[in-house]
Amino acid sequence: MAVRADEIPVARGRSRVATRMSAWLDRESVLGPLFITPAMILIAVLVAYPFVMALYFAMSNSFIGRPSEFIGIKNFVKLWDSDVFRQTFQNAFVFTGIAVGFKVLLGIILALLLNEQLWFKRLIRGAVLLPWVIPTALSTLGWWWMFNSLYSVVNWTGISLGIMDPPGPNWLGQRYYAMAAVITVNVWRGLPFFAITILAGLVSIPKELYEAAHSDGAGPLARFWYITLPLLRPVLAVVILFSTILTFGDFNIVYVLTHGGPINSTHLFATLSRMLAIDVGRLGEGAAVSLYLFPLLVFVVWAQLRFVRKQVY
Amino acid sequence: MDRITRRRFLTTSAGLAGILAARVPPARGQQREISYLCWNNFAPASDKKLAEIGQRFTKDTGIKLKIDHISHMGPQQAKYAAEVQTQAGHDLVEMRMHFPWLYEPQLVDVTDVVVEMEKKYGKVLSSGYEGAYVHGVWRAVPQYHGMFVATYREDLFKKASLKVPDTWEDLYVVGKELKKMGNPVGIPISQNYDSISTAGPVLWSFGGMEVDKDGKTVRINSPGTVQAIEWYKKMFRDCMEPEVLSWSDASNNESIQQGKAGWIHNPVSAYIVAKQRKLITADGMNHHRSLGGPQGRHETDTPRHIGIWKFSKNVEPAKEWIRYLIGKKEVYDEYIMAGDAFNLPVYEKIQDHPVLKTDPKYAALKGEGVQYHTYGWPAPASDKVQLITNSYILPNMIAKAVTGTSTQDSIAWADNEMKKIVAG
Repeated sequence: MAVRADEIPVARGRSRVATRMSAWLDRESVLGPLFITPAMILIAVLVAYPFVMALYFAMSNSFIGRPSEFIGIKNFVKLWDSDVFRQTFQNAFVFTGIAVGFKVLLGIILALLLNEQLWFKRLIRGAVLLPWVIPTALSTLGWWWMFNSLYSVVNWTGISLGIMDPPGPNWLGQRYYAMAAVITVNVWRGLPFFAITILAGLVSIPKELYEAAHSDGAGPLARFWYITLPLLRPVLAVVILFSTILTFGDFNIVYVLTHGGPINSTHLFATLSRMLAIDVGRLGEGAAVSLYLFPLLVFVVWAQLRFVRKQVY
Repeated sequence: MDRITRRRFLTTSAGLAGILAARVPPARGQQREISYLCWNNFAPASDKKLAEIGQRFTKDTGIKLKIDHISHMGPQQAKYAAEVQTQAGHDLVEMRMHFPWLYEPQLVDVTDVVVEMEKKYGKVLSSGYEGAYVHGVWRAVPQYHGMFVATYREDLFKKASLKVPDTWEDLYVVGKELKKMGNPVGIPISQNYDSISTAGPVLWSFGGMEVDKDGKTVRINSPGTVQAIEWYKKMFRDCMEPEVLSWSDASNNESIQQGKAGWIHNPVSAYIVAKQRKLITADGMNHHRSLGGPQGRHETDTPRHIGIWKFSKNVEPAKEWIRYLIGKKEVYDEYIMAGDAFNLPVYEKIQDHPVLKTDPKYAALKGEGVQYHTYGWPAPASDKVQLITNSYILPNMIAKAVTGTSTQDSIAWADNEMKKIVAG
């Protein structure tokens, strides 16, 4: 095809720009930041900004709709004097410890079951995920109905079967039952995450190891103890890490089921923070509650990631 | 098409430039629009009527009105907080009890509107003053009030020949029988507002109080509180079931509606809803006045008011809506009638409202001799009182006592918590 003479410089010019551009993009020092920038913007807007605001609120006497002053760590000190906060602190550890413990134990059992040759394997694996997929507030409302003193199907069934004496346990009105109820719902909701992640870890363990152990005469328990569990450790560490953080920060379940009651016995950091900041209006104290465990959680993350790295490399 | 002359082009351009510079659209063609956030009324027909009145308001005034509803207290507070922090949201908000005190710096002075209402309908009830008259300025316009009375199963009382109680001690006597019949007394002792609405009158009628008249001295540690707690203890043991420790604001209503509770302390909403839903328990229900004690009879009143946020750009149209809804007698009457005696007029001259004659079961709602109190009485209303309320100290003190903590330790705990709040 004939090319007009006056078009040549433009084409040359364009190709020169394109070449320069592609050379520029080839440089790692340019391309790397370019790829990271969108994520950094999102993190800055959605994570860093709220975090800095929370830090600012926590160190101020901020009250909704009123001017505030910087007061240093006074909120943190003051909180420790509060019975309700100390109770919440204890609740958070009891709730997280028991819930994560049950999720690990039941998660391993469920993953081992799902790893077996089952009928309708895919359907069952999909169904197991349901509690994790349904919006928590919605599913917790269902649980609230089941535990509600007037309509409790749990108590109705227990009484009908003769296991419980009427009127049955006061699930949401007695401190230990209420804690058991919120832990039950948390375990029910978090179990699929554990089971599916552990299942992924189980699938990746080479079959040859089991065959070799089997031929050496190792029983199922020995195979689990010496092969499955050690090879699952990195996966377990990551799952426990995530779950510990998420369970410490749980809000929906307690808010819907008990509102922190009875007598603050199920309050967690998030629900107490909401009560102080939104219901009472003390934004500063509310923010301090939500940040109280931040240093500890940073340490947990650091320690567990260190452990994972050691396991992997 | 008309030919555009040079003169017309220049005039139009200059006009547009002026509008852009001033950032204010011309009055002609400017659609005035306001938004109003209110709760889901416990008398649902009232919300329908409000929507209908809103449409008529738009037709009559040309001001577009958007009404949003939000569920009970928790979400409502979160919404207030979010709107105030972001300085954006609705123009008008419905507020309960002392909330105007909490949001005082953010609410427009509406004294002019309230003065007009008082001229027309008489003085606002004392509870309305307590809630919305903040430091000598009306921060919200009193809209209606709902008084706590007793709702009881008249049919069960008649069947067992029980006497309608007049004092809290009388209630203990009939409560024991009701529990034996499987229809216990239903007074919540949990982290909700109904718990406080009952604990207040019990405490007051035994001579107790949370904070003194000066608004600074915590007085919860008193013989009156001891008596009130002892009364709660025996009620919890002999007349109620432990479920009351887990109840929400709706639970006592549901309990009597579903045929379980024989007596509850609540505004008339339980009966209204039972009637509307045609529940079989509705016919058997009736009301009587709240109960008395050695130090008299005191009623919890829950006034509601409409406030306008200072960040609103439509303060005048917003006031116009309040004047339309409350200030037009025929509209206000229509609105009150739709609430089926749950929303009662909050102005003195219209207390004897026709809505009280729509059902003989509303006889207990007559205002004569009633001592209307809001939370925290006799302390003057303040943000501190609202903070004590919102921290659920009173119901938690009682809950501690009925579940094993000694009366003195429970009171000492409440005393300490209240003193911290009052100290700021």
